[in-house]
Amino acid sequence: MNQSTSSSQVLNASRRRFLKQSGMVGGGLVMGVSLSACAATSADNRSETGFRPDAFLHITDKNQFHFYMPRSEMGQGTYTGLTTVLAEDLDVDPANIIIHHASVDEAFINADYGMQVTGGSTSMKLHYRTLRQLGANTKALIIQAAAQSLKVSVDQIRTENGQILVADKAIPYGEFAVLAGTLELAKDAALKPDNAFRYIGKDRPRLDALAKSTGTAKFGIDVDFPGLYRAVLLRCPVAGGTVKQFDATAALAMTGVHKVVKIHNGVAVVAEHYWQAKQALTNLKVEWEKPETLSAFSSDTGKAQFEAAINGDDFDTAFEQGDTDKALKAAAQTVTADYWAPYLAHATMEPMNCTVKIEEGQCEVWVGCQSPQIAQGLAAFYGDVDKDKVKVHSLFLGGGFGRRAASDYVGEAAAIAKESGVPIQLVWSREDDTQHDVYRPASMARFTVGLDKEGNISAWRVRRAGPNIMPYTIDEAVDAVAPAFLPNGMVDWMSKGGYGLFDGWTVDHASVEGLYEDYDASNKDVQHTTVDPGLPLGYWRSVGHSFSAFFKESMMDELAHKTQQDPVAFRLKHVGDNPKLKNVIEVAAKQSGWGQAAKNNRYLGFSAHTSFLAAVAQVAEVSVKNDQITVHKVVCVIDCGKVVNPEIVKAQMESGIIFGLTAALHGEITLEDGVVQQSNFHDYPMLRMPETPEIEVHIINSPNDPTGVGEPGLPPIAGAVANAIYAATGKRLRSLPLTLSS
Amino acid sequence: MIKFKLNGQAVQADVPGDMPLLWVVRDHFKMKGAKFGCGMGLCGACSMIVDGESTRTCVLPVAAVANRDVTTIEGVGQPEQLSVLQQAWVDESVPQCGYCQSGQLISATALLNKNPNPSDAEIDQAMSGNICRCGTYPRIKQAIKKAAGQPAVNVFDPKGAEA
Repeated sequence: MNQSTSSSQVLNASRRRFLKQSGMVGGGLVMGVSLSACAATSADNRSETGFRPDAFLHITDKNQFHFYMPRSEMGQGTYTGLTTVLAEDLDVDPANIIIHHASVDEAFINADYGMQVTGGSTSMKLHYRTLRQLGANTKALIIQAAAQSLKVSVDQIRTENGQILVADKAIPYGEFAVLAGTLELAKDAALKPDNAFRYIGKDRPRLDALAKSTGTAKFGIDVDFPGLYRAVLLRCPVAGGTVKQFDATAALAMTGVHKVVKIHNGVAVVAEHYWQAKQALTNLKVEWEKPETLSAFSSDTGKAQFEAAINGDDFDTAFEQGDTDKALKAAAQTVTADYWAPYLAHATMEPMNCTVKIEEGQCEVWVGCQSPQIAQGLAAFYGDVDKDKVKVHSLFLGGGFGRRAASDYVGEAAAIAKESGVPIQLVWSREDDTQHDVYRPASMARFTVGLDKEGNISAWRVRRAGPNIMPYTIDEAVDAVAPAFLPNGMVDWMSKGGYGLFDGWTVDHASVEGLYEDYDASNKDVQHTTVDPGLPLGYWRSVGHSFSAFFKESMMDELAHKTQQDPVAFRLKHVGDNPKLKNVIEVAAKQSGWGQAAKNNRYLGFSAHTSFLAAVAQVAEVSVKNDQITVHKVVCVIDCGKVVNPEIVKAQMESGIIFGLTAALHGEITLEDGVVQQSNFHDYPMLRMPETPEIEVHIINSPNDPTGVGEPGLPPIAGAVANAIYAATGKRLRSLPLTLSS
Repeated sequence: MIKFKLNGQAVQADVPGDMPLLWVVRDHFKMKGAKFGCGMGLCGACSMIVDGESTRTCVLPVAAVANRDVTTIEGVGQPEQLSVLQQAWVDESVPQCGYCQSGQLISATALLNKNPNPSDAEIDQAMSGNICRCGTYPRIKQAIKKAAGQPAVNVFDPKGAEA
């Protein structure tokens, strides 16, 4: 939203647009409006009278409060968090608000990305002010309507939990909803002062906990209706391969198999039940056309490509400050080290799945995804229907972590529905999920750091070698964000034109983010050199920070030890430009007992990192016995601005740490002749309860607006553990996953 | 035709005997609480209680449960009538994405039914077959301890489901 545009203008304008879309003309009385324009489920299509101030909120005359949640709930807590901020200034208990996953509409676009997507820890940051203002303005209109119909002045009216209080009477908001719908606000209503908060900042249970503790929360995979077939898809073992020829005779002869169809990236079996489809798949014979570049890549030999790039002369400059060459020559001491992080899969607990029904030019999609808008575009393209004929029903996501920002599985499902002519639910196996992910890119980095006589950093040079995410994601995104005036053919050419079209425009910021920003140095030089084996890439929780924080924080530890300085004191000397980071470092040092002698052979490792506007410091307590690494405890301090729900912030820190520990201790995707070698949880293991450390979270009390918390808890942990291992053993581990046995 | 008890009710299914119980329950009986996660019995999302034991049903042929007692999350409790453990799950805000939580609750229920006051190590052991990618383990443990501390030992009542 344009800062200079008042929310009340926007509110009035969006209301008019909604009324227009709904076929209503003239005034604001919302009578029997079909909400299908942005309804998530058929249950939303109730024709109730009431007040729909904008796309996000509908108050019925029966005093029901419907919130159309613009962002996806994938575990990070938006369902509770966004509802809480809306509820605060609306003055309605969040538990009394009926929450719907919004479908696709321009009203729900994420302003940071220009499309309807959930990611980058942006949800709370973007909606904290706007949803509070919506709540405040809506309440003001309800009060105006109440004053008018009760013939009292607005000053005589108070509100409490969805009730208008006047004299000794309490009347539900809903009674004034219709009248409120005819009124307009002259200017934005005032927001509550923080000390009047009833819901924000309080420990309140998650609003989705009940459904998720009773098996009644509906995920994409739970969609079912009469006549729905199940589909499974055989893809080329090397990503990007296509079908040369196939023989379906044996598969077609099996019980329950309805059809076998070829689509853009494989051959699908469509059957009555999943189990039948799954069994029939093993009887398919397919000959593949494999992509050359990726087929030629194997991890054990391929690492040499990254090393050559790190040693080579071909690079782009991503960031430059001062004169790093000169400063390195003048340095009292220069320290160089190379770091490595492998490819990683997301491994959401719910495997990718999507349900598509195409009938008479209309397409319905049921999916839990991070971008319903991209899902809509892909369903239109692969289902061969107009985009405005695609309706997306959003459901809970059984994990996102960036995986469901991509919608490849939606395209597959639409293609299978189109080719088979029946409604289908495509369900990926765990093996599909592990071997056909969009992966966290493998990365190598070389630091060359100059220090002056006092042990201060005078020059910070870092070069990163590896593939970039953007070329792999932009083809889906173009479809979603291309201006409406572009002809479809042109959009398809741009978006499906292939990898090369968007290569080399600029350095992809996600490739270098986090490598250089946190610490002071007069001279900084960030270089990038692209090495791309061709494995599809995507956004993996905390994106570039997932590797850069490990590299940078390990390097800081190395520098401190090289110059005989305490790692915490060394960091504090270099955070003059970063008071938030300074504060979390100090608090974490204090809370963890930093500086005390190791007890019971448990050693501490320190790490701190800023990402997604939040500063986080972590101290890991680690012991090493017979080369076995045990993480006993993690102390975590976060400054994420104002806290909407402290328990959810803590839960997200725990979540980020545990997700990060899986990567730090176990995570590695490797390839042989382009084929991903891991397939399921036995060879791509996850942290389980017995391995999970005690986690202690401290939240900084801050007056600033909230940042997101879904990602910032992850980046520091690998460095904290590696630095603790160094403290315990004197061994510097510069590769992930961390391992001491050779 | 395979007969067994599902959440206290006698049921029968005309399905191949080698079809995993998970898919019989999800696709045939249309109960969607138990989830598909890995298909190899490695993650626990599909867990159901079979004769008192938390069991991975994505690899369990339905023929193996003939004449046996199967309890799914739907049989543990309902939104309007939560088991002690489910209430603890809500109070501790355990779920995040929530996908694995049916399986987690099944394993925790089986544990407390057999061992009403488990030690930390016993909880770790009993829950080690259930993966949570969101990392809700600290809260799961907290919720189990909270429920274990309560006088109501029965974390769910299979006879109640039968009535």
